[in-house]
Amino acid sequence: MTAPAPSLWELFSTWLVIGIQSFGGGSSTLILIHEACKKHGWLDDDEFVRWWALVQIAPGINLIKFTLLIGRKLRGVPGMAAAAAGLLVPSALVTVLMTAGFTAVQGQPLVQAAMRGVLPAAIGLSLAMGVQMGQPLAVRAYREGPPRLAVSILIVVAAAGLMASSAISPVVALLGAGAAAIVLHILVPARRTPPPPDEDRE
Amino acid sequence: MNPLQFFWLFLKASLLSFGGLGNLPFLHSDLIGLGWASEPDFVTAIAVGNVSPGPTGLWSISLGYLAYGWGGAALATLAISLPPLLILAVASFYRRIEHNPLVQDFVRGLALGIVGLTVVVSLGLASSTVTDWGGAIIAAAALGLAVSRKIPIILILVLAAVAGLILYGH
Repeated sequence: MTAPAPSLWELFSTWLVIGIQSFGGGSSTLILIHEACKKHGWLDDDEFVRWWALVQIAPGINLIKFTLLIGRKLRGVPGMAAAAAGLLVPSALVTVLMTAGFTAVQGQPLVQAAMRGVLPAAIGLSLAMGVQMGQPLAVRAYREGPPRLAVSILIVVAAAGLMASSAISPVVALLGAGAAAIVLHILVPARRTPPPPDEDRE
Repeated sequence: MNPLQFFWLFLKASLLSFGGLGNLPFLHSDLIGLGWASEPDFVTAIAVGNVSPGPTGLWSISLGYLAYGWGGAALATLAISLPPLLILAVASFYRRIEHNPLVQDFVRGLALGIVGLTVVVSLGLASSTVTDWGGAIIAAAALGLAVSRKIPIILILVLAAVAGLILYGH
């Protein structure tokens, strides 16, 4: 699948529309990028999945890294800059304006009442992020058998416990989790029998 | 507040994090420790980050604004824009080592650790925000709705605002 390389303006405007449309962050943005790439023939599905996996292991915001890789493929370094600017600049500006608007009205009793609903919900959303990140990991460990699932749970709980006790910095907790995964996965091999069929949840 | 140190804390948190909220534990321990941001600042920034356009990770920009005004927002924007460039080096390096089982296990351990950290920090923020049963029920409902992915995040927050008005608006 070879498509003509887009102009820098086309890259910028495509990502601008993606960024501005993706109210509510995360997965909705990824879906919009997927649609744009399909429509223009910029990236096939295999590349899309492989690159999305790759960005998970590099530091920073996944959608920015993903945008950089696609921009580079299409138009080199200028393409990276155009796509990333389209994704970030308008959205960043709106984010600051929304924060400023909020700080201006936060003294109003009705705003305070509404925020007493919104802030606990933000906690729920933050926890949901943890659940969503944990879900694919749990599914994978489950397929490898109960001992492997126990190892995964142990690593999550140990990292959480170290963090909660404030005994060590988050970096050390994370590196420890990585090292523990290497050692424990050698000690506790994955089950060799074929995995059970997928349970459809929906 | 020292702008260079402010920038460095945001940059460090972004360098050490994976994904949009991954920098939360680092920023939380550093900025709270220095007294540069408050618990409500964090909760507000996460809420704005969820409502505003673009990646959820832009919550850092909101936090930068709350802690340090427009300059803080600019520094935070720069700090979250630079680390993703490392993907270019990672992409070429990872192609050579991606099939190494030790690398795969290490990366998997990092991901598990992130899950643990995210949960602990979220619960920590809850202690200053969820002060009654109404708040606890709203938090649990938001969690359930977000995990089910049945309705958009923005709608969850609108419903939460309405619930706040009904419960506390008198």
